[in-house]
Amino acid sequence: MNLFASKDDLIRWLDSLLQERTVIAPVRVQEQTVFQPISKVEEIAFDFDNTTLSPKGWFLPPTETLFSVQGDDGQVELVPTLVEQDAILFGLHPCDAKGIALMDKPFLQEPGDALYRERRSRTALVGLACGQVQPECFCTSMGSAPDDPSNVDILLTEVEDGYIVQAVTEKGKALLPKGLAEYKGKVPTPPELQAVPAKEVISAMRELFNDPYWEQLADRCLHCNICAYVCPTCYCFDMRDYADKGKVERVRSWESCQSPGFSLTAGGYDPRTTKGERLRQRFYHKFLYFPEQFQDVACVGCGRCVRDCPVNIDIREVISNLQQVMEAKSGS
Amino acid sequence: MELIQQIRDKARKLLEEGAVEGVIGYERASDGVTSRPLFAYDPSATERLIFDETCAHNLVKYLLDKKGKKMAVVVKPCDSRAINLLLNERQIERDKVFIIGVGCPGMVETSWNHKSETLQAKCRSCQLFKPLVYDFLAGGEIERQAEEETYSDITEAETESVATRREFWLEQFGRCIRCYACRQVCPGCYCPVCFAERLEPLWVGIRIAPEENELWQTIRTFHLAGRCIGCNECERVCPVGIPLSLLNRKLEKDVKELFAFQAGLDPEEQPPFATFKKEEKLEFGE
Amino acid sequence: MSVEYQPKVIGFLCNWCSYAGADMAGTSRMGYPQNIRIIRVPCSGRVDPLFVVKCFQRGADGVLVSGCHPGDCHYTEGNYHTRRRFALLREFLDYLGIAKERLRVEWISASEGQRFAELVSDFTAELARLGPRSKI
Repeated sequence: MNLFASKDDLIRWLDSLLQERTVIAPVRVQEQTVFQPISKVEEIAFDFDNTTLSPKGWFLPPTETLFSVQGDDGQVELVPTLVEQDAILFGLHPCDAKGIALMDKPFLQEPGDALYRERRSRTALVGLACGQVQPECFCTSMGSAPDDPSNVDILLTEVEDGYIVQAVTEKGKALLPKGLAEYKGKVPTPPELQAVPAKEVISAMRELFNDPYWEQLADRCLHCNICAYVCPTCYCFDMRDYADKGKVERVRSWESCQSPGFSLTAGGYDPRTTKGERLRQRFYHKFLYFPEQFQDVACVGCGRCVRDCPVNIDIREVISNLQQVMEAKSGS
Repeated sequence: MELIQQIRDKARKLLEEGAVEGVIGYERASDGVTSRPLFAYDPSATERLIFDETCAHNLVKYLLDKKGKKMAVVVKPCDSRAINLLLNERQIERDKVFIIGVGCPGMVETSWNHKSETLQAKCRSCQLFKPLVYDFLAGGEIERQAEEETYSDITEAETESVATRREFWLEQFGRCIRCYACRQVCPGCYCPVCFAERLEPLWVGIRIAPEENELWQTIRTFHLAGRCIGCNECERVCPVGIPLSLLNRKLEKDVKELFAFQAGLDPEEQPPFATFKKEEKLEFGE
Repeated sequence: MSVEYQPKVIGFLCNWCSYAGADMAGTSRMGYPQNIRIIRVPCSGRVDPLFVVKCFQRGADGVLVSGCHPGDCHYTEGNYHTRRRFALLREFLDYLGIAKERLRVEWISASEGQRFAELVSDFTAELARLGPRSKI
């Protein structure tokens, strides 16, 4: 059953949640919108296209200490990193929610990542359906939609005077405020998106590993980490132990396969020394390796990489180019 | 169109004659509004070459990926300073580059799918009307108005208190995600192993936090002291909008004042930190 | 009971002049504050601005770089480079919010033990007045 909340209802509800929980919501910072913990509901930006970075940083922070080891007088103590509070991740679009669902697959599969699992179980997802889409959006081609409720606990859809409130899970239902009336109005039609046909991309990937396409595309790639860092489903990281004054911390930080030296092994061998090999890896992970392991393509069509790549390496173009190259090769 | 046709014709001729292995220029980006780098290896690909006020990318950096190959590159006046820098530092050979110079009307602020009417700040004060070095000049020299570079935003920041500046930069560096796009796009950053990637000794490490970010940004900027040619690509590509030009131009201003030097004007120049004067008063000098 | 703030000072002293000068202060029993930790380098020109910024990042309240007087460098020209580099770095760090008073560049010869002791006292007192550098 769909419920209705006015803007005031919503603000009151968020205020009450804020008393006992961390609320992470989109906030306007210097001309950009970013997800960050808020201290007042007024900080939330309700009107935004899509945030600079995806909300994956709440579950997999750019940097975190996994644990520290303190040594004192021969006594060694392992100090785990604790997750302090229950949280609400508010205002994420369906594409980002799908991104989290995709990241759950590697991070929650047994034995599971302890910190990710803890944060994930203690965070409720309140999604915001998209009333409008950007030219770079293509979620419908990647198994999601502007009004897709499948990966959130509660989905809000903006209508005149307020929001349709849909409790998707039991967790979401339990969070809702009492006294919301049933929504009997029309449910807005979700906006149309351009299609990026991707049916044959996985089989194209299988055939085109050694195709010169990759080196040619990589000519203009800068090998920065922008695409991987803004992406809701990229999750590569680096880990290092730091020792300082009797304490050792194991630190985990974001890294990406695009960086030169990412795949350098001790002993000096690097399987991905050329630009094309590095660029190819990211697309292969998304459109072959991840689907083979987890039965789903690791792209949600949010368009951030399209928007932010400084040299316009456009994943939609890559998807269609690969299929074209396959067609040309097979002479059909 | 005349200008673009000249670029295309020249590029096609160079490829047809085998004078170069490839041409690095600009083509329309997938949004239909902005532009992106194009690597043309076949004469037919040169039809895609364009040049307009969205072509902000500094293509000179790509020459470092193509060492040993003879390449042609489309170069704006600011980019030509990068050519001089790399010639000066012996990173490229003059006879391995065919420079297709263009007189530049100034680049506008762009972002994905959006082209504004506002000239980029670096272009407003640019005094170069044609590239400093080229083998072929497409379109001829451009007549345009150029403001004087007063560094007013820098001098204004200098009048504020140390504490105010500390707070400002702390906030800015806090947003850095260490994507290294600034380094990757910069023609002056070409160390095989960047100091930030070094593990022995460990300077920056992998932690993405304000302290480490500050060290990263401060030293990267300082490594460009007397070398930054002011293309401002670093600021343009930063995904979180850190005002890097406030760092680079501060050093540019100080290097000008202290050493009367600007990078990239002459391939045979003596950079200020590779040389010295026996007698000079530099605030604490004797 | 309050603990008096003791600035942490790191000093990079060139082996041939400044370090010898500091040694002289020691052997002549000239007292100077214990706040300074000395790192010996072959030449002040060895001091990479990276070291200085790293010192500040790791909690130093002040950094001293000291070498031979210009013209007297053991390696002939090292300190001319020091002079240029640090003129720029002091300005830049101040611009970033690290007060320029926290970075001192001095020329101290092997016979200037007294001067070294006085300098360290002076620097430490000034840093105490400035207060701790607010670490990030």
